Amino acid sequence: MAAKHSTPFYQPPDKVPLPPANAETFTTCCDYCVVACGFKVFRWPAGSPDGGPKKNQNALKRDYPLGPLAAGWVGPNQYTQAFFNGKLYNIAVVADPDAKVVNVGGTHSIRGGCIAQKVYNPQKPTQDRLLHPMVRVNDILMPVTWDFALDIAAEVSKHVIAQHGEEAWALKYYSYQFFENTYALSKLALKSIGTPAIAEHDHPSKVDAAPGWTDIGYDIFSAAYEDFALADCILVSGTDPFETKSNLWEYWFLKGIRENKTKLIMVNPRKTSGLAYAEKHGGLHIDVVPGSDTPVHMAIARVILENGWEDKEFIKNWVNNFWETDSGFGRGTRNTPWQWRTIWGMFQVNGFDDWKKWLLAQEESRPEVAAKIAAIDPKKIYQAAEMMAKPKPNGERVKTTICMEKGNYWSNNYLNTASIGNLGVILGCGGKPGQVITRLGGHQRGGSTGGPYPGMKSPYKVPGRRRLELDVDRWLESGHMHFAYVVGTTWIQSMAGSSALEDAFKRYVKLNPHQVRTLNKQAIIATLKKRVDGGGLVVVNQDIYLRNPIGNQYADIVLPAATWGEEDFVRANGERRMRLYSKFYDAPGEALPDWKIVAMLGQKMGFEGYDWKDANEVFEETCRFSRGSRKDYNAIRVIARRKGMRAHDFLRAYGTTGLQAPLLIDGDAIIETKRLHDYNRKDIPETGPEGATMHNKRLLAFNTQTGKLNLLKTPWKYWSDFYAFMQPKGDELWVTNGRINEIWESGFDDYARRPYTQQRWPVNFVEIHPEDARARGIESGDWVVVESDRVPVQTDLNLGVKDGEMWFDGLMKRGHIKLASGQFSAVAIVTPAIKKGVAFTNFLHENSPANAITPRVPDPISQNYRFKLAHATIMKIGESGYKRSFAQMSFKRRDIA
Amino acid sequence: MATCKNDSGFQGACMTRRAFLFRSGAAAVGTVALPSLAGFEGKALAAQVARYPRMKIGKLSQLVKDKPVLFNYPDKGAGSQSLLVKLGVPAGGGIGPEGDVVAFNSQCTHMGAPMGGNYQPAHQALGPCAFHQTTFDLTRHGMVIAGHATESLPQVLLELKGDDIYAAGMLGLIYGRYDNLKTKA
Repeated sequence: MAAKHSTPFYQPPDKVPLPPANAETFTTCCDYCVVACGFKVFRWPAGSPDGGPKKNQNALKRDYPLGPLAAGWVGPNQYTQAFFNGKLYNIAVVADPDAKVVNVGGTHSIRGGCIAQKVYNPQKPTQDRLLHPMVRVNDILMPVTWDFALDIAAEVSKHVIAQHGEEAWALKYYSYQFFENTYALSKLALKSIGTPAIAEHDHPSKVDAAPGWTDIGYDIFSAAYEDFALADCILVSGTDPFETKSNLWEYWFLKGIRENKTKLIMVNPRKTSGLAYAEKHGGLHIDVVPGSDTPVHMAIARVILENGWEDKEFIKNWVNNFWETDSGFGRGTRNTPWQWRTIWGMFQVNGFDDWKKWLLAQEESRPEVAAKIAAIDPKKIYQAAEMMAKPKPNGERVKTTICMEKGNYWSNNYLNTASIGNLGVILGCGGKPGQVITRLGGHQRGGSTGGPYPGMKSPYKVPGRRRLELDVDRWLESGHMHFAYVVGTTWIQSMAGSSALEDAFKRYVKLNPHQVRTLNKQAIIATLKKRVDGGGLVVVNQDIYLRNPIGNQYADIVLPAATWGEEDFVRANGERRMRLYSKFYDAPGEALPDWKIVAMLGQKMGFEGYDWKDANEVFEETCRFSRGSRKDYNAIRVIARRKGMRAHDFLRAYGTTGLQAPLLIDGDAIIETKRLHDYNRKDIPETGPEGATMHNKRLLAFNTQTGKLNLLKTPWKYWSDFYAFMQPKGDELWVTNGRINEIWESGFDDYARRPYTQQRWPVNFVEIHPEDARARGIESGDWVVVESDRVPVQTDLNLGVKDGEMWFDGLMKRGHIKLASGQFSAVAIVTPAIKKGVAFTNFLHENSPANAITPRVPDPISQNYRFKLAHATIMKIGESGYKRSFAQMSFKRRDIA
Repeated sequence: MATCKNDSGFQGACMTRRAFLFRSGAAAVGTVALPSLAGFEGKALAAQVARYPRMKIGKLSQLVKDKPVLFNYPDKGAGSQSLLVKLGVPAGGGIGPEGDVVAFNSQCTHMGAPMGGNYQPAHQALGPCAFHQTTFDLTRHGMVIAGHATESLPQVLLELKGDDIYAAGMLGLIYGRYDNLKTKA
């Protein structure tokens, strides 16, 4: 048999230039996941001599070749070329081999490791960056000038606001693409325009992701990364850090497992490499079915309580009793969070004993009942309780840390976060080394809000409760939105029930009779005004690439943005560490940073406060609005000013180490904060609540009126009717979704434009268990269609006057739910690593959207989508070329230990 | 999708997708030739590989399925540890009558851990790496299965002359090196 000839899809070179000793060096961090590994950028002119392998011959100051674990390798994906000030340069982007924090010793993920390939290079796949502002004329996007495009955007905006009200003007944007940008965007929408129609990339409304913790009093990013190396036991719910926060795994979690004998409990329907490794080293895999976490948490709590393993001392000192739960501390009883959300004591308890009594009376807290709901072995519940809480032989308490991500909270949002938070409370998690409770994070923390949310302008007033924030998806679908400023998000594929949402765009944008057919500016403005007056929608899309379909099909105006590396920016990571991300190359074409585009638009709309001259001015303006927050960084501006420095330059001097917020000022020194809720902390300066730094309650206590924690009831009945509808019926399977290690977000940098990643993931995938696959005649490499004809979409706000009306059965009965169809195609990967009865796909593939089948029924308490829950049939339609080709995609197991 | 041009100092032979997907050559039985390509990408690759030494590394008849043979290539310096293995299933770049004999450099391309002892017969994979658990698919040109490496495991190009197996080149840069053929600082 002749040999099958095949060559790799991506063939890197076998030599890469080293940066010379005199190369310019910049510090930055990765632009991708929440960990934000520190990186160094080396820049030297193309055509000038490269570096040599002796340590005095190269900018890394190392001898090459390097040995094992020695960082500072400049591999093929760390090298590129780019233009700076119009001249061509060689660029190397290398995980900081001298990093002292976060990615100590220069570890990195596959995503950040290849980030040099993100850089705009007109001769590489990034060549299709947006270069010019464009206006859609006769359905073709035509390049125009900035003034031309923004004049139209400004005039139509002013018209919409004047004729239809500011609530008809909407902002849908990312919450994390650097403080300078999120601040400018939200300043325009909230402070200047004052619209309630604003939502971030992952919510339909401006709400918290983990509301159970908000009500308990836990901050979502309270830990220091070193805590994962100090715990005895870590409960990790809804994520595998190996996959999506890789360096947290590579450095911190592994340190704990190897040096501290940390045992992990991982709650996940799916096994990946980190979980497999953890299991092999004394860990426990709790393979829940999606959406079943709350009874499992309740049952673990029950076992802890029945054994008397709760932290009685901590509960005595740090849990609110009856009077404390109801206390106002200046805000009044009607201002406690659950009283914003609901009434009649739905979640509130009167202290620990009341909560314990309630929990033990719940059927779902029985381990056998919980295990049945979650389709797990009940032994695992007992085992988890022991690992987390059974005292050590010498009587010492186990140092337990709890962390979570979206498998937990993009599901039964309120109850899952509340019930896992309760576990933290009874185990004394919070504020102590190795004993923390925290989110691990997804993207970095770059959100700064430039104005107050005008809650009173939302029409969602439910009887007896506070107004709810406006749901932008429903607002659009019901025809109240007339101008949408869409920045840095695909919107449609990112939101639940995406096919129904796209129908709305079609109706209000494309099917409206008023379409632009001239390049005469005044005529364009007149047409777009007629469109909005006739009930339609005008879309302005600002991004770095043209996305399908928001940009290439629906945007009337497209604006090119500058991004990471093209401007000096500031952002924090998941342990609140602030770094300066240096500019090191030219933005493509006429692209401008988002803050600058907003400034130009704001000025054209006649607003004041948009005359920033550079990014540093925007950053300095955000500083004082950070006071009192989890990322309080005002100290940077204060101390920089004292030294006569720009704030950006002051922070730049801290390199990849940065400063860990909240920052406090003591004389001329900056005091950093390692972890929040640190009630044993002694180094708070005396100049606490005065002057430039605000005393921030979460520094030394928890985030409630009293500073103590609240326990919450988590009744299963508020979930069970929706959950019953979502259960797979007949031939359906659960289809859940999430990130995958090698791809970041919607894949705009990697599977879209990075040959190395395209080699690994050319198309979307769906993991399916061998028994489920066999029953459907599916093999690895087959094309399958994942489809549902019963995707529930909530069409309007429900006033929920009577008991039962706000829950799913009530919504159905009163006609608030329509059933849509949704589908996507993908290539099957048959693997026992996914739980039987459950399938798993990428959460945000541009052309294969998992959200086509996810339910658009927001959690009635928290208004968040249940992204991780869907049911669908999976059917083979044929074989893909990837089944037998060797050049792309791998079907090997991703849980080899 | 863009192609990479080989001019004005740009590094790298970035192959067009169309050229390389589902490629099957018509070379004589028993040899693997460099892919015949239109265009100068093929010439660049051939020129790249031509600079490698040709080294006999084993005999086909002596290979036992799933029993890797360790060798050094293209020299004996740091990072040259490599692995030759008969997988028992057809593989990309595989030689022999079953197309299942492949060879790769065995330093993890994430951070250089030696993986010569980490062959997984059940999966035809190399890994998980002892450092950070990256795994590589030896049937598909050493691409990452799951993990942090920014490059596939560099594949050793093999030639079969009768029963003799020769290493004739390498695709990709060995971890820690700046040039596969330079071992000294």
